[in-house]
Amino acid sequence: MKSIAERKVLLQVNNIKQHFTVKNDALFKPKTVVKAVDGISFELYEGETLSIVGESGCGKSTTGRAILRLDEPSAGEIYFGGENLLTVKKKDMRKLRGDLQVIFQDPFASLNPRQKVKQILNEAMATQKSVVKEKRPERMKELLEYVGLPLESLERYPHEFSGGQRQRIGIARALAVHPKLIICDEAVSALDVSIQAQILNLLKQLQRQFNLTFLFISHDLSVVRHVSDRVMVMYLGKIVEIADKKSLFDKPMHPYTHALLSSIPVPDPTIKHERIILKGDVPSPINPPKGCRFHTRCPFATDLCQETEPELRELEKGHFVSCHMVEKI
Amino acid sequence: MAEKEIPILEVKGLKTYFTTKKGTSKPVDGIDFVLNKGETLGIVGESGCGKSMTSLSILRLIPSPSGKIAGGSILFKGKDLVKLPESEMRKVRGNDISMIFQEPMTSLNPVIPVGEQIAEAIRLHQNLGKKAAWEKSVEMLRLVGIPSPEKRAKQEPFQLSGGMRQRVMIAMALACSPEILIADEPTTALDVTIQAQILEIIKNLQKQLGMGVIMITHDLGVVAETCDQVVVMYAGNIVEHTSSKELFANPKHPYTQGLLASLPNITEDVEELRTIEGTIPSPYNLPKGCRFSSRCPHSKDICSERNPELFEVSDDTKVRCWIYSDNWNNQSKREEECLNEKHS
Repeated sequence: MKSIAERKVLLQVNNIKQHFTVKNDALFKPKTVVKAVDGISFELYEGETLSIVGESGCGKSTTGRAILRLDEPSAGEIYFGGENLLTVKKKDMRKLRGDLQVIFQDPFASLNPRQKVKQILNEAMATQKSVVKEKRPERMKELLEYVGLPLESLERYPHEFSGGQRQRIGIARALAVHPKLIICDEAVSALDVSIQAQILNLLKQLQRQFNLTFLFISHDLSVVRHVSDRVMVMYLGKIVEIADKKSLFDKPMHPYTHALLSSIPVPDPTIKHERIILKGDVPSPINPPKGCRFHTRCPFATDLCQETEPELRELEKGHFVSCHMVEKI
Repeated sequence: MAEKEIPILEVKGLKTYFTTKKGTSKPVDGIDFVLNKGETLGIVGESGCGKSMTSLSILRLIPSPSGKIAGGSILFKGKDLVKLPESEMRKVRGNDISMIFQEPMTSLNPVIPVGEQIAEAIRLHQNLGKKAAWEKSVEMLRLVGIPSPEKRAKQEPFQLSGGMRQRVMIAMALACSPEILIADEPTTALDVTIQAQILEIIKNLQKQLGMGVIMITHDLGVVAETCDQVVVMYAGNIVEHTSSKELFANPKHPYTQGLLASLPNITEDVEELRTIEGTIPSPYNLPKGCRFSSRCPHSKDICSERNPELFEVSDDTKVRCWIYSDNWNNQSKREEECLNEKHS
């Protein structure tokens, strides 16, 4: 990996917020707002893999969807190739989505069951007008080769494939339009480990081959450790820590990251590691705690944490943490 | 680990078959294991290997009429559950053997307060009055670490978070102090920090109540943390049966080896993960020989001809692989000779 100064920023996210209004039963009650993502900023460099980890409801998927404008973010800016994605017209956004592709968790739900693989791939290319009609059959063959599926697959329907193979179709569809950035939203979470390993290897190989940039959203920390260059940890709609993979896994600074890392069951019974078991559940994003959002479960919380929200500070080069107490722990 | 006393559960040659339009599928095809008091047995394998069907067979909950136990016996303290009449079986379920499922939302009744649901199980099995059962149910909720259990007991499942619902399931399963707890992917739907809490609760309660636990999971990390013995299943067969320590230190079956190698490591960096090529065979059309042979890197002629038995490799390790038979080396020699002849 190149050093930070040499790398080119591909995507710049500035203070995006994603607030959803929830319907209320009572007519005159104020509307309830879920702050799924509440002001996060980060950049994504060309050719790297940035992972977003966190527990359910932390806003990791919402962030991915906001970048693609699958849900319209409430505030903020997202710069991609000099353009603010949030102000471009819907029509132009469709063109830009050719550069920004996504692979979803459940490959069965995201592939049309009544289309053959041929039609699925064709539709992607036709919508984006990225490949002229005459060249499409050739491109399809090429794509199947990249993702390691037999040529006969073109004439078959999604239900005829296994989970891993379906995920390969999803990857082929994303690749069909020559994207620059692929958002992988829990792309391997539904797969068995032996199949998961195949898909992870495939993603890595494709990244090298086409200089792809990945935004990898996952809750599985060992997978994240394997694929990422940098890792971002989210909690209740906020970034709590963002750093190089090595620095984050070897030297986590935020108490939440600590707890998260120590909770992973290690497949080796001889290792008896000290486990930090967090008390309670993640609070509801409808009414997040004041101050630091983690203070209700944090073993080091003080009065300051309950009052003031910590900012994301760069404590080491490229290692950002948002915690008041980090120096004292 | 417990000494070899009378086991509380002994499964012998269990076969569960399904007959459908497509033919006969054999998700569980002749498996044996023994569970001792206070011990945790892990059943691991990938989707479709038959691990969940095994647990459903023990409780005789397989969907009928398409599915049925086609052979074998399940001895619970010497009593064969396979032959038990349904009315007797109902007394066993929830009372002697209970189960936690993966998705608590689908296994709880959505319109009945959770405390009521736990109390129902207690009333059914323990002849307690309504009030006493309710008190016991609140007590159980407290035991599994739910804050303000009196209040929570009156709430419906949708008002609880995923982790809390799973705790309610555990409370319900343990309400009658069963001798065996079957946990079918109890933490798969939960986040890691909550998973850590739940595993801790199961472990503590097991120590307190001295029950045997069957932990069914695809997560080898969970196995390493909780189990004493492990059974690895592949396409309806047990391919390796060993102690948890031995499994991770010294995996014997090529499938187990592949499975462990394909795990992304949390402490080490590797450029490429090792994979197991191919996919599992369909349960409708199982290969004649070893079921793993089509994906096995060591596969030889004999592997695709005959399914190996479980070879006893050491005192506590059994492996279903021809590599551990006496014939293996002869077989290799014969193949080499064949090759040499061809070359010359």
